[in-house]
Amino acid sequence: MKQPWLDQSGRSKQSWRRAVVATAVGAAALTGLLFAGEQEASAQEIQLTGPLAGAPAVRKLRLHRDGRFEITPNVSFTLLDEYQRTIMPGLRAMYHFTDWFGLGVWGGYGFQLTTGLTEQLQEKAINERNCDGNPSSQECRLTAVNLTRGNMADDQLARLQWVVAPELHFVPFRGKLSLFSVLFVDTDVNFFVGPAIVGLQERVECGKDGDGNRIELQCNQDASFTLESRITVAPTFGVGLNFYPTKIFGFGAEFRGLPYEWNTSGFDNFGGPPDGDFPDTAVNSEDREFKFNSLIQVNFMFRFPNLEVSE
Amino acid sequence: MAMNQARVGLLVAAALMLLPLTAAAQPKQPAEKPQPEPGADPQPGKDPDPGADPATDPSVATDPVTPPDGAPATGGLEELCAIDPDACKAIDIDAAAKRDLNPEIYAVQQIYALRRLRFELNPYAGLTLNDQFVSHTAVGLATNFYITNVIGVGLNANVYFNSPSAFNSQTSRAARIGQSITEYQWNANANFLYVPVYGKFAGFSDFIFHYDIFVVGGVGAISTRPIAVVDPDNRTFDWQPKVTFNVGGGIRIFFNRWFGVTAEIRDYIFPDELENPTIAEGVDANGIPLAQDPATWLAEEVSWTNHVQAQLGLSFFLPPSWEYRLPK
Repeated sequence: MKQPWLDQSGRSKQSWRRAVVATAVGAAALTGLLFAGEQEASAQEIQLTGPLAGAPAVRKLRLHRDGRFEITPNVSFTLLDEYQRTIMPGLRAMYHFTDWFGLGVWGGYGFQLTTGLTEQLQEKAINERNCDGNPSSQECRLTAVNLTRGNMADDQLARLQWVVAPELHFVPFRGKLSLFSVLFVDTDVNFFVGPAIVGLQERVECGKDGDGNRIELQCNQDASFTLESRITVAPTFGVGLNFYPTKIFGFGAEFRGLPYEWNTSGFDNFGGPPDGDFPDTAVNSEDREFKFNSLIQVNFMFRFPNLEVSE
Repeated sequence: MAMNQARVGLLVAAALMLLPLTAAAQPKQPAEKPQPEPGADPQPGKDPDPGADPATDPSVATDPVTPPDGAPATGGLEELCAIDPDACKAIDIDAAAKRDLNPEIYAVQQIYALRRLRFELNPYAGLTLNDQFVSHTAVGLATNFYITNVIGVGLNANVYFNSPSAFNSQTSRAARIGQSITEYQWNANANFLYVPVYGKFAGFSDFIFHYDIFVVGGVGAISTRPIAVVDPDNRTFDWQPKVTFNVGGGIRIFFNRWFGVTAEIRDYIFPDELENPTIAEGVDANGIPLAQDPATWLAEEVSWTNHVQAQLGLSFFLPPSWEYRLPK
């Protein structure tokens, strides 16, 4: 039987891991170590000096990821939305080269729900003003560039339509938890990062393009209150907490960052003089703002073939 | 080096065969026992039990690295044979080495950081998660006392720093509509805590840390006032306390037995008084415009507000140490 604490390669892996730990955990770990130095001698001392010296921290570990494929139906929910929330059913396909490293692709298609702010704007700023019937009123003239006379969600609010993202997954933390001291499940924490290809719908350009060239479509025309598609590339990254009640099935939740620039409202907010921070009666790329878009993703993981157990 | 470790492994395997009842979960022994001076009197109360069996009682076991005859040990099988020559002859060392190690362990180990009858000080910083118009950054302090290992009671308080966002002015400018907004001064709450989840993680298969997940709920007060946006020329508002209910949950990661970090999400729910979106017209009996009458400044209906706050803090447990009721 192979004994990992006698294996030279295993020793080099341990050294490597320690180096990664020291770098990745950084100040937090340093703080912990400083305080740990004050506590009483514990089982770790036995590991260092006793017959378990050099032994791995965990033995007989169920390797939920190592050498396994994963199919994960999931659903994502956007957070901190201003005008529209997105619910995005999706799928992730993945292969785990080791128990701590995997490569996969995640994709999803979004469906939108309006927020309370959108409903208030629709009711008070559009329906009650009835600008179709009172086009010359001051409020209607002042908002002609920014507010549709129809439905905000359909005509001008940007949508997160779809995402495809190849991702690298790292699993530095592996453990177990006790729920009510009755239910015990294996858990792990994963970090992921990758480039995301994002399909958006935004209000069509009007007034001027992003380079300042005038275009025929003016922003107070009804035709400017339509959406057009564009594709952008953005980084995506996050952290997940996963639970494994069975050898094949697991579930978990991930927090995902997906930052990019977009004009969520379809308003003319920027581009005007003196420094581009004021409206310029045009809607274009100048009106996009950088948003740290964030999502909570609920995963239902199915992995195969059967898991193995470490030595 | 590897050979030494192999010998140690064989030694452990053989020792487990010899001492099946005493090999598991023994109280931790000191790293080195002080050697008595030759000729010194035995200390009272420290004499070995004369009836104890050296083969089964670790308290009277001989030093495993010193053969009885005083000859220097060379390690491995020689050490084992030096300890017990009879066992050395009787045991097939090769077969023993192939035997799976199956040491007895306790089904439930000691919890790393007990909370029962301990105080927790939890200073934290918080930020708003659900108010696009005003950022309510907070600093706060929670003090908790755990009645049992999973149930606690406590108090917490926040002091807020408010900052209307650019999003607020952009929306108002684009849509020509004022959105009633509120700023917070402080809040204070009495809370009940429950810790249903306790676990541990192995980091990089190299170190272990412990964590728990808690839920919290309570009742208290929050002091708020509207920020005048509809008629700022006439309206100024005073701070007013309102009753607030809160519910939340979080995770606590222990760095050692008395220090950790916490991450928490708390929803403070309270009936807020918002600015009246309409400006009263006309004058009162004294000829003063009704727009200057504070009675017309607030909306008639209260608005139930959910202030969802993310908190990141430190956790200090007092007293910092304790004794387990059972050794394991």
